[in-house]
Amino acid sequence: MNPKRTMTLNLTDQEMSVLDQLSVQKDLSKTALIRQALRLYQLVDARITRGEKLFFEDQDKQKAELMVL
Amino acid sequence: MRETIQIIDTQIGEPVDAEIFDEVALAHFIETQAEWRPVVLAAARALSQQPNQGLLIPRHFHWDWTRKEAELKLLAVRFYGLACEGKLQGIMKVETVVHSCRLPEQQGKPLVYIDYIESAPWNIKKLMAALGQPQRFRAVGTRLFEAAVLQSQEEGFRGRLGLHSLPGSEGFYINECGMTPVGRDPHKQNLLWCEFTPEQAERYLAGE
Repeated sequence: MNPKRTMTLNLTDQEMSVLDQLSVQKDLSKTALIRQALRLYQLVDARITRGEKLFFEDQDKQKAELMVL
Repeated sequence: MRETIQIIDTQIGEPVDAEIFDEVALAHFIETQAEWRPVVLAAARALSQQPNQGLLIPRHFHWDWTRKEAELKLLAVRFYGLACEGKLQGIMKVETVVHSCRLPEQQGKPLVYIDYIESAPWNIKKLMAALGQPQRFRAVGTRLFEAAVLQSQEEGFRGRLGLHSLPGSEGFYINECGMTPVGRDPHKQNLLWCEFTPEQAERYLAGE
């Protein structure tokens, strides 16, 4: 396993509540969930930086572009 | 990560030490192009003379690892290499955020997705048979597959794993690894999506 470093994360009650909820839903520890979020953010950012677009498609096959900051 | 594992040397019929590592670099990708592709091409030429060999060869033609260089920096992607006798014997790419579980009992939960796994051509029996030579090492793909299962456990995914199986590998993943065939994926060349639950991953690692 690759070495890891520790940091303190300050979250609001609401943010912590969402983290708790998603951790249960995804069967992940809070650390693993935040690690996943970071990976996803970097992946999306890299693809948008190289000119790709991110879309969500609803059940009627309507596409909506998602803006990512 | 760099660990000593064992693969089978077919010349002596016994296990030998090899290294599995995730510090894969562009040089490894170039090695696959320089060292592997000429052998694949020679085998493909020989195989093309034989009937019913179409399923095996095309998959090894189009995958160019050097095109994956940009992904070396992505946290969501991890590459593994397996080396023995100073040569790259196998390589694998896994992803951790693009795909999620599809089995009803674990739908939407994260998994390690094996995007591509490839053994050096001299370790593929059918290719070497086409060239009239023996296969060099066995169990390269198995050791890489195990590394993906272990990564899933280390990530906190409890061994959950998914992949799109090539037609010629379905029997291996279902019967030998114990994966569940979930269904054909029309968005991925109709390949069969196979998945591990935590229990299946445990059984696999225990050798059951």
